[in-house]
Amino acid sequence: MTDPMLPPASTAMGAEPVIPAASPPDRPSLPPGRWIRENLFPNTRNSILTIFAILIALFAYRGLLNFMFSEERSWIAVRTNLRLMFTQAYPEHQYIRVWVTVGTIMVLAGVSAGIWARWGGVTVKRLMGWLMSGGVLTAAGVLVREPSVLTDAAGESVRDDAGELVRESFAAAMADRWVWWAIAIALLALGLVLWTSLDDLRRRTIEIPVAWLIFGLPALLVASTWVVRYGHYGFTEGEFIAEPGQLVAMTTRVPWTFMWLILVASFALGRAARDRAIASAQAAEETPNGGPSDEGADDDAVPELPRGALARTRTSVNLLWVLSPFFLYWVVMRDPEIDYAHVFSTMLPMGLAFGAAGAAVLWLLTRSDAGEVGRLAAIGLLLLAAFHWVAAYFGWYSMLQVARIAFLLLAVAGLLAPNFAGVAAQRRRLVGAWLFMVLIAFYGATVINSPSTVETPTDMFIGGFSVTLLVSVLTIMLSFPIGVLLALARTSRQPIFRVLSTIYIEVIRGVPLITLLLFFSGVLPLFLPDGMELAELAAAILGYTLFSAAYLAENVRGGLQSIRRGQYEAADAVGLTTTQRTGFIVLPQSLRVSIPPLVGQVIATFKETSLLAIIGLFDFLRMANSVIPNQSQFLGVRRENLLFVSVVYWVVAFAMSKYSQRLEQRVGLGQR
Amino acid sequence: MSDPREAARDASLSALGTRPPFYRDATVVRWIAQVGTLILVLAAMWFLATEAGDSLRARGANIDFDFISDYIGIQVGSGIDTNPDSGGRALWVGMVNTIRMAAAGIALASVIGVLVGLARLSSNWPLRRLAGVYVEALRNIPLLVQILVYAAVLATLPNVSFGMGPISGWIHVSNKGLSIPRVFVADGFYQWAVIMLIGAVVARITYRRLAEQREQTGAQTNAGAWATGIVAVFAIVGWWVHPIFGWLGSPLGSLADGVGAIPQGVVQLIAALAALAVAVWWIRRFLAQHRTPAGLTRLTDDDWFRMIFAVVAAAIVVLFVTVLWPGLSSWVVNSSSDGLGVLADKFGNGRTGPPIDAMRPDIVQPGNFANYGPAGLNLSIGFAAVYFGVVFYTAAFIAEIVRGGILAVPKGQSEAAQAVGLRRSTALRRVILPQALRVILPPVGNQYLNLTKNTSLAIAVGYSDLVQIGQTVYNQTGKTLQVMAVWMLFYLACSLTISAVVNFFNIRMRIVER
Repeated sequence: MTDPMLPPASTAMGAEPVIPAASPPDRPSLPPGRWIRENLFPNTRNSILTIFAILIALFAYRGLLNFMFSEERSWIAVRTNLRLMFTQAYPEHQYIRVWVTVGTIMVLAGVSAGIWARWGGVTVKRLMGWLMSGGVLTAAGVLVREPSVLTDAAGESVRDDAGELVRESFAAAMADRWVWWAIAIALLALGLVLWTSLDDLRRRTIEIPVAWLIFGLPALLVASTWVVRYGHYGFTEGEFIAEPGQLVAMTTRVPWTFMWLILVASFALGRAARDRAIASAQAAEETPNGGPSDEGADDDAVPELPRGALARTRTSVNLLWVLSPFFLYWVVMRDPEIDYAHVFSTMLPMGLAFGAAGAAVLWLLTRSDAGEVGRLAAIGLLLLAAFHWVAAYFGWYSMLQVARIAFLLLAVAGLLAPNFAGVAAQRRRLVGAWLFMVLIAFYGATVINSPSTVETPTDMFIGGFSVTLLVSVLTIMLSFPIGVLLALARTSRQPIFRVLSTIYIEVIRGVPLITLLLFFSGVLPLFLPDGMELAELAAAILGYTLFSAAYLAENVRGGLQSIRRGQYEAADAVGLTTTQRTGFIVLPQSLRVSIPPLVGQVIATFKETSLLAIIGLFDFLRMANSVIPNQSQFLGVRRENLLFVSVVYWVVAFAMSKYSQRLEQRVGLGQR
Repeated sequence: MSDPREAARDASLSALGTRPPFYRDATVVRWIAQVGTLILVLAAMWFLATEAGDSLRARGANIDFDFISDYIGIQVGSGIDTNPDSGGRALWVGMVNTIRMAAAGIALASVIGVLVGLARLSSNWPLRRLAGVYVEALRNIPLLVQILVYAAVLATLPNVSFGMGPISGWIHVSNKGLSIPRVFVADGFYQWAVIMLIGAVVARITYRRLAEQREQTGAQTNAGAWATGIVAVFAIVGWWVHPIFGWLGSPLGSLADGVGAIPQGVVQLIAALAALAVAVWWIRRFLAQHRTPAGLTRLTDDDWFRMIFAVVAAAIVVLFVTVLWPGLSSWVVNSSSDGLGVLADKFGNGRTGPPIDAMRPDIVQPGNFANYGPAGLNLSIGFAAVYFGVVFYTAAFIAEIVRGGILAVPKGQSEAAQAVGLRRSTALRRVILPQALRVILPPVGNQYLNLTKNTSLAIAVGYSDLVQIGQTVYNQTGKTLQVMAVWMLFYLACSLTISAVVNFFNIRMRIVER
């Protein structure tokens, strides 16, 4: 049985089949007795090692379980404050905005998974292994955890004369934990049934689609909130609510069920789009010189990336990913109160004027006969844009900041114009990009300059995990272009560029991040001109960006150095300009090579955002380490929160590192 | 250096007898862009610096380093001096704490990292899985979270009490941290260090001689044992006779006076001449690269620009040391004189005690609560939390590097070792690890650097490392920029030292291999 949702994409495109990542040939399973003898006790030395390792593992496991199930633990602190840890004190009546944000991310994730993911299957043998290990681990946990403390009628722990806690007997503890025994036995039984009902060859060859697991496990979790009485805890309008034995609040159950449905629906949508594109590409192949794929000739070169409709879908999904953090933060979560009088009197006419005039200028500059005059005109535009900034510094005349930015964008587009000269489609592409940039710039300026209507006790309207996520995402997005530029400068033949970039990278890499953050959060205001202020969060993001860019640059440099000389020479031979050579030949190849280290850098940035807690921003860690232990209900409860926070960080970082390992294999395949 | 494409282009252009206008000449345009960028960067820095100067002046603060020598009245939680008499001394305590933590951390992280890395490749299934769980669990949780977890867990240890353990009078563990016997540098240490230096030189010469003899004759000469013995003899004898080097104090003192007497102008002159000399040396080397047996190759415009820029850069340095910041040279003179003076003070007639001394930990009760006394080496909860944090975290990364390095050794090597009858452990030690080390060392050096930088997270749990003390200093004095400059210089120096050491071993490894 193969995955019905997974037509092998590349064979469908008529290229050679993609060989799955190199894995050793699967050997027949050994009978359990022999497996134990060969793997655990082959000789004296290994037997000692085995016992040693198992003892360490059991000791650590026992410590963790004793900690988690101790009577002194106050896990209610975590459960009550889940909302605080993820969104801080976002107002109740505007909470729908949080769900819209989560929903948007779900849609994008679902569609992307539908279009890109090539999840394989899990063999029944592995699944059975997981089930049985789960059963064994649960049983072992029941056995090794120390017996619970006895409690009296009032619910207080019983202590003996010496003040030590009195624990129940071992037999009573085993009997009390019957639910866990039931789970352990159920898991083991399920595994054993699977094991005995299939012969070895089928165990190793029958596969369960990963998609079922990926969507099925959350489905189980979501469904259980409607049935299992997990208890209802929370702060509702400042009131502390603790109702054990109740169902989870409706405001949690309904949105998450909805989120799951959205995720699955968008996944199905993405899959359908991909299947349709592949089918039409196949049809186009059967009838040459026709079909929807207008650039189908390129398919031989890049067999894994079907062009045409699917490529356009992929580009737009990528674009949505890039734009979504800004939109979700400044528009959805911030809920700005837009001054429409200002929009209609100033921003809209100005935007239209810039759009139209800029489009006309760019249309002229991309004429194939623009030549020298075109370049001089672009340089003139650049000087004009620069002059506006100089004038702003000396205060010669006033101008809206967005106009200065628009002039600068126009100058950059003008300088890029020769790369788009000639064909009408290319010229239209540049003009379209310009109009899009104007739209973003003016819409963004309007939104950012409008006051937020979200009222929270602190300066920031989000906090906790949402700040952690925002800072990591913005840092990665902003530092990427800077990092690429630094890497290009460092590998450049121009000595001044090289020296400047090298000094920057080495100095930044030589100092600890925390000193840089302290600088940006504490000292930066000294360096800014009078009247200019930078929000705390913006200063922190700036610090992270400049730090991360230096590391990113080194990763990208590694990729740049892997490009062979012949690529440069070939690009020169066909007469590409330096910009075209870099943008179309060198960077695409080198970035592909540096994807694994870049993902590593993403993980590192995500982990480093925990340093926000030190410079006084209310991030995920600070909520757990400082805010909750100061609540009157949970004074001093810290270790529980920290464990929870560690688990969340771990899940995200581990998922990304597994993804990066898969990518590494895929990139390796691309180099065959 | 010179680009053959450009040389060819220049040649063909001059053959045609035409040159393009300057704004179409790629070389000229590139240099305009470069110099323009440089000017833009310098202008931005100048702009920021003047803004900072204005803001500081508006607040009545000055950019000076007086706090280094002035008494600033801060207390340090732990370190070689808990009541520093000046800001500089306080920062020095922080640097020693950071270096201590980094050195001890690097040692333990390497051991754990190698062990876990080997365990991940073990043929033993439970050990392999255990090491895998260790690596995956620790490297995916932020270090700061781990440090806070350790701090929260250690804070639940019992209070200090008399007669506490685990080994009363030797090792004490409580929620105040760990207290163990303290070994410290005493009176005669520097004189003894001179004797040890001489001993090391003698041992090295002996070792070389004996090793050479063995190479030539094949006789067993026990070079290593002899060298160790010589060092031991010097150490033991030097323990008592070290006062014979007490006379070194007065020449060092005169040297300090002599350096201090150098006029500012001489230093400026030397710095300026050095800058010019570097520029001349660079240009000569550049030209030498273009010299072929047939004579000097054609120099492109780009080459000329490079040479001119070298001269301009030297001129800027000269301008900087003489006109823009003349105080720099006197600062260099004064601080080197001070440094030599401190060293001179370490020698002298009064210093006859043992070079190294030790003390057992004690427990005192000044008020209601018992606490650790000053005798032992007291490592606070903060120290332990940061130490465990950086060690376990870095060890997880080192383990992955070690695993990768060992996997990078071709399989034939271990098979060959097996074929000649080496035991598994011997093969690992003598065949696999030496080859893997070449792959392992550079990234591990990077991890050592990360560990050193990560000790700065001590600020979160209040252990007095350089960053934490620095923050206290600037909160007290308001000299934020100056303290940050000290941070930057210290960490850059650490980075350079670690890279230098790693590079040294890297180069040695290559030579041994050939």
